[in-house]
Amino acid sequence: MTKEQFTKEFEQARPQLKSYILRITASVQDSEDIVQDTYLKASTKLDSFRGDSSVKTWIFTIASNITKDNLRAKKRWTENVTDICKAKALSNPSYFPEVMAIHQTSPQGQFEMKEHITFCFTCISKSLPLEQQICILLKEVYDFKVAEITEIVNTTEAMVKYYLHTSRAKMVNIFEGRCALINKEGVCHQCSELNGIFNPKQDFEIEKNKIEFAKKADNPNREHLLDLRIKIMKEIDPFNSNGSALQLHHLEHNRDVMENSTEKNEE
Amino acid sequence: MTMTTTASNGKAATIKKTFSRETGVSIDIQADKSIIWALLTNANDYPRWNSTVISIEGNIAKGEKIKLKSTLDTKRVFKLSVKEFEPDDRLVWGDAMGKRVYTLKTIGNGLTNFSMNEKIGGPMFPLFAKMIPPFDQAFEQFAKDLKNEAETISKTK
Repeated sequence: MTKEQFTKEFEQARPQLKSYILRITASVQDSEDIVQDTYLKASTKLDSFRGDSSVKTWIFTIASNITKDNLRAKKRWTENVTDICKAKALSNPSYFPEVMAIHQTSPQGQFEMKEHITFCFTCISKSLPLEQQICILLKEVYDFKVAEITEIVNTTEAMVKYYLHTSRAKMVNIFEGRCALINKEGVCHQCSELNGIFNPKQDFEIEKNKIEFAKKADNPNREHLLDLRIKIMKEIDPFNSNGSALQLHHLEHNRDVMENSTEKNEE
Repeated sequence: MTMTTTASNGKAATIKKTFSRETGVSIDIQADKSIIWALLTNANDYPRWNSTVISIEGNIAKGEKIKLKSTLDTKRVFKLSVKEFEPDDRLVWGDAMGKRVYTLKTIGNGLTNFSMNEKIGGPMFPLFAKMIPPFDQAFEQFAKDLKNEAETISKTK
């Protein structure tokens, strides 16, 4: 493969790669750096690419390894990340003026519930062990096959299946316990609260019913609700959406809070 | 009968002696050993798939200490240490009173044999033997839950 061919394929994969890394690291800067490092590393190793896998799988393998190294020393987040970060935002007098300025001046400063749901998934999935978070994203959001994920994360097919099954079960369980969109007793109302702040004229019930998994909240098949939630993830590019400036700011805030949190993290 | 001949049918068997009691169960599971091993060694995930475990605190790794709450005696917390840890093969935890041994063996055609034995005893055993509930039912349920979860994972596409 020539460098030109590789560069062409890399550019095709770049948007997905960048959003994948963002969803693992929760850092705009890290995702940009890792994409660039991946390109440089792969470019210098073109001779070692034998075509046993697709170029996209190879690129994601290199990027995943760099990302894992980047995150190795960092704590995993906790399931109650939204509670912790909400409390920090409320206690910071400059936080809301900042986000309102983004909302009013940025062309990508709209608040949309669907985008906040993808933001929420990113934050919650950072409470999973890293291998589980990587596997669920690769399989469910970026459509890699189990055999390809086996190569990307350098483990056995059996372990990929274990990570996938366990991560899904945990995500179902966490959302079931927390998300007020699907559980009336759920403690997290953040998307509806923020929608009320940014879109005060909207009727929340109407907006809520535009979200399929919230509309089907009574469906006993909770796995199906997770699938519907993931479907929203697949449809939204976190760097190029109507509210990406707002949600990325929100994500950076949460990362700062969680990385500086002194709480003992539960694995 | 000895524990080494426990049939792989998921039925528990108990041997009672004056100074000890030993319960075992064995079952064949259509799943890779590594899946079963991952389930057996991920402490905080137990309550999700294992209906006999209320909670396990700690890290299941060689030399580590864990706190187990079981449906066998919901008011007690068993403080145990991990005595042996041979990945994909053998796990042993226990305390001064006894030890539980988990073993995994590949038997071909994608099948893994899982066995679990627990022997409790000692010089004082006859004094408290009647206060310890039988393990058979809980062991059978443990094996059934493990088989169900591992085989479900194995079918993931």
